[in-house]
Amino acid sequence: MSVQLIDRELDRLEGLWEDGLSDMYRSYQEAVGSHDPASQAKLALAAALVEIGVRLQGLGGRAASPPTLLMGDLCLARSSRLLADAAPQTVQVAFAQAIEDMSAAAASGAAGPDTRELLLRALTAS
Amino acid sequence: MIGKRVRFETKHATEFVDITDRLRAEVRQAGMQMGRLYLQSLHTTLGLAVNENEPLLLRDFEGLLNRLAPANAGYEHDDFARRFDIAIDEPINGHAHCRQLLLTGFATLLVEDGELVLGRWQSVFAVELDGPRRRELAIQLDGDFSKANGARGHERDLVELELSRQLLVDPEPVSDPMRRLVEAGGKRLRPKLVQLAAGIGPRREPLRAAALAAAVELLHNATLVHDDYVDESTHRRGRPTVAAAEGPERAIAVGDYYFAKATRLIAEIGNRDVTSTIAEALEAICASQIDDVALRGAFPGDHDSYLRVVRGKTAALFAAACASGALLSEATPEIVEALRRYGDLVGIAFQMADDLVDFSPSSGKPVGLDIRQRVLSLPLIYAAEDRIVGPEVRRLLAGALGDAEVGRVTELVTSSDALQRVRGEAQALVDAAVHELETVELDGLRPTLISLAHSAVDRIS
Repeated sequence: MSVQLIDRELDRLEGLWEDGLSDMYRSYQEAVGSHDPASQAKLALAAALVEIGVRLQGLGGRAASPPTLLMGDLCLARSSRLLADAAPQTVQVAFAQAIEDMSAAAASGAAGPDTRELLLRALTAS
Repeated sequence: MIGKRVRFETKHATEFVDITDRLRAEVRQAGMQMGRLYLQSLHTTLGLAVNENEPLLLRDFEGLLNRLAPANAGYEHDDFARRFDIAIDEPINGHAHCRQLLLTGFATLLVEDGELVLGRWQSVFAVELDGPRRRELAIQLDGDFSKANGARGHERDLVELELSRQLLVDPEPVSDPMRRLVEAGGKRLRPKLVQLAAGIGPRREPLRAAALAAAVELLHNATLVHDDYVDESTHRRGRPTVAAAEGPERAIAVGDYYFAKATRLIAEIGNRDVTSTIAEALEAICASQIDDVALRGAFPGDHDSYLRVVRGKTAALFAAACASGALLSEATPEIVEALRRYGDLVGIAFQMADDLVDFSPSSGKPVGLDIRQRVLSLPLIYAAEDRIVGPEVRRLLAGALGDAEVGRVTELVTSSDALQRVRGEAQALVDAAVHELETVELDGLRPTLISLAHSAVDRIS
């Protein structure tokens, strides 16, 4: 079930799976255990897409080249759509706040919060 | 007719004070839809000018004024021994009066569809010539403040207030660049569509509609911030882009912040269908951006590729704005889908009209910018397919594009029937959009939606 879902949701992003996205996905699987089983794969993938998306963009570091930035943008947008499909409102809001925190820190030149920690917390927001 | 005063303080002897945003705010606050704004300096050493707000150019203007009327050039006005009734604080300012004579003391600005009519690079300046001082301008607004338009004006005010409110609470490193972009204008078509559609169903809540409309506008602007970095654009709405002014790192952070904030605001509205509709549109926009950049390798591309990209890049958010507003008001599925199709068609027509602006010397936008930046453009596609000019257009576009090449391509496109074909196609799309509205009951909003569809392409007629 989750393999089919992931295949479908990786359209245009296939190369990222072998390039770190699969490891990120696995690292979020445990944190989604409290959610509806039908939503768990989508939520773990949404978190992984945010993590790889901001990394691709170079958020908080050196700006990515335009094509890589667009790939990062697509990761964030797909994550947003997965959350709209599967996440409760509290989790949607917590994810958005996590990205707001990361990007506000990046814009001010401050050290950013730990991405994975923020997203793990967002997944369990209630 | 409404009369008001605009007051401000200057800080320097010579200073170009950009008052465009204040005038825009006065127009919006008054709810004027169509008419004229009269502007008059109430001082003899304060001029008015309409020009580009580019810092180096403003220094050029100041230099020009200095050369034409230098200070300390022996003005008779400054010979107090020969004058009568001199005030105790009379300054030595003959040069400032002479400089004011070179400018103007009054201006008339047109207002259409509730907005000041200004070219892309035009800003309105009060020009201080003898500062620092407290200054005052008189303005009068004369035109159409009809009741229906006034009601819509109030709804638009709600969106502007909501945008201001949201920007006010954000950290300055992200809010300052976004505020400059948002306050620089823009047509606000997407929030207008949200608000109109939100008035169709049985659940009408102007505050929720304004919250959604403002979030959609923030989302649109967030995508523009990243677009400008990708396209290496230096200016937008007559002002430096975030990437040009503050660097790509800041631009990426600002775009991400408002992407996230907009999705949060939409999620907080608490309507899952609305959230999904906007999220799907955002995904379509991002996928199309990738296609758009990829197609630049085969510039200028073909009609099918153009439609695919434009449908995602521009029309998806128009369609989502319409559908989400209707969903918010709990309109029937038939109405939601009809409005979604309407938004899609208007969005494509809008983009085609935008392509034509690149070939219009009167638009205020530099002619040929899309060619120079190799942006997907339907007139170029049609010109490249043209039997007569096509071979030369294709040859030029395949090489480096300097001023001469861009000028020649522009000439070739203009001499072909490409612009006419695009104009006709855009008009046909508007007609199709209007046709979509005929199948559903829209509770009196059909004329406004028809007018809005026509306004999307009117700038090319």
